[in-house]
Amino acid sequence: MTIGSTPIASGQAVRVDGARIAGLVSCIPPRRIDNEYFLEEFGDSVADTTKMTGVRTRYWVDEGVTASDLCTAAAVSLLDDLAWPRDTVDAIIFVSQTPDYRLPATAGVIQAKLGLRPAIIGLDINLGCSGYVYGLWLAMTLVGSGAAKRALLVVGDTSSSLIDPADRATAMLFGDAGTATAIEAGDAQAHFILGTDGRGADNLIVPSGAYRSAEHRSSNDPCKLFMDGGEIFNFTLKSVPKLVAETVQFAGLPIESYDAFLLHQANAFMVNHLAKKAKLPPDKVPMNIDRYGNTSSTTLPLLMTDDLADRLAREGARLALFGFGVGYSWGGASLEVGPLACVKTISYDSGR
Amino acid sequence: MSEFYQGMAEIFEVEESEMGPDFPLDEGWDSLAVVSTIALIDEVYDRTVSATRLQECKTVGDIEKLAQE
Repeated sequence: MTIGSTPIASGQAVRVDGARIAGLVSCIPPRRIDNEYFLEEFGDSVADTTKMTGVRTRYWVDEGVTASDLCTAAAVSLLDDLAWPRDTVDAIIFVSQTPDYRLPATAGVIQAKLGLRPAIIGLDINLGCSGYVYGLWLAMTLVGSGAAKRALLVVGDTSSSLIDPADRATAMLFGDAGTATAIEAGDAQAHFILGTDGRGADNLIVPSGAYRSAEHRSSNDPCKLFMDGGEIFNFTLKSVPKLVAETVQFAGLPIESYDAFLLHQANAFMVNHLAKKAKLPPDKVPMNIDRYGNTSSTTLPLLMTDDLADRLAREGARLALFGFGVGYSWGGASLEVGPLACVKTISYDSGR
Repeated sequence: MSEFYQGMAEIFEVEESEMGPDFPLDEGWDSLAVVSTIALIDEVYDRTVSATRLQECKTVGDIEKLAQE
């Protein structure tokens, strides 16, 4: 059940009752890209970029592999581990900015591959860095409202297919990943704050390829990703510390009661600065951008299946999640997660 | 030397004695330096400045003026 919603400075504040995370799996493609890969294109500036972004390795899909493939592999592993019969899943939500097709929605493609019932709720959500929080809110709302008893949230992006290989600001930053999160009915409570501000749409954009196809101010390939890093950083400075404070306040628990604050792994410099500005204890702000790069909507579940996996499997944790970026769009969540029967990171095996 | 100029010296990787209002923004004034400068201004002055306006600055003194506007 959703308990009211209140507009506050950061966005819509919503409490969702009656749904819990049952497990989650992240799937990483096997092709590891080290920074040496970029030396030929960018030369000495590779070191400077690395200092800022913190990315040392990232994983990219091979040609022909999409976000939905990674998500499907994650979902297969998750459903098997949880021993959820396929016909007990009532809803599937796919969050991505790199879907299989412009149409139809990729949620159905994954549904068919997984062999879920043919008459369930399925839809795509076009969001990036904020997408996991939005997806979690919607999936938990579906379950909490009784519209679905079990829901599968599949979140993934292959940003490697969007980046302009000549653009130093983005080429080295992004990694690919797909995740699956199982949501089921349960005696739990989660707090969300969700916001959007489309005035920043131009600052992180793939200008061409859909139906507006505007000329863009940058000379970059309009089919590739354009990012104004300075403007994006400004947006996060203005919005994220406020989002953190308001999410904690909305959930009504003291900051000490949180086991971890998961910030979207935008780039290391940004995350460190934002954590400091939001006055978060550094030892409770896990980072893994050094290994995976910025994996868009999957950075938050990837922190859970990677850095926090043992903790979430054994005893569970009180978590705060913060996704923010492209849109602009942002979401904050406060929830108790675990102990989980399944929480792990797997490598994509294209032979499956 | 002020916290702002110390920070700018770090961003341009020069000695603090070389940093001052006349320091030119040409070599090394790239997107990474701009983002670092936004962070520095946020830290020192607790305010955000537009990246576009920052890119229009010619000297470190221009940045200081922008930050104090």
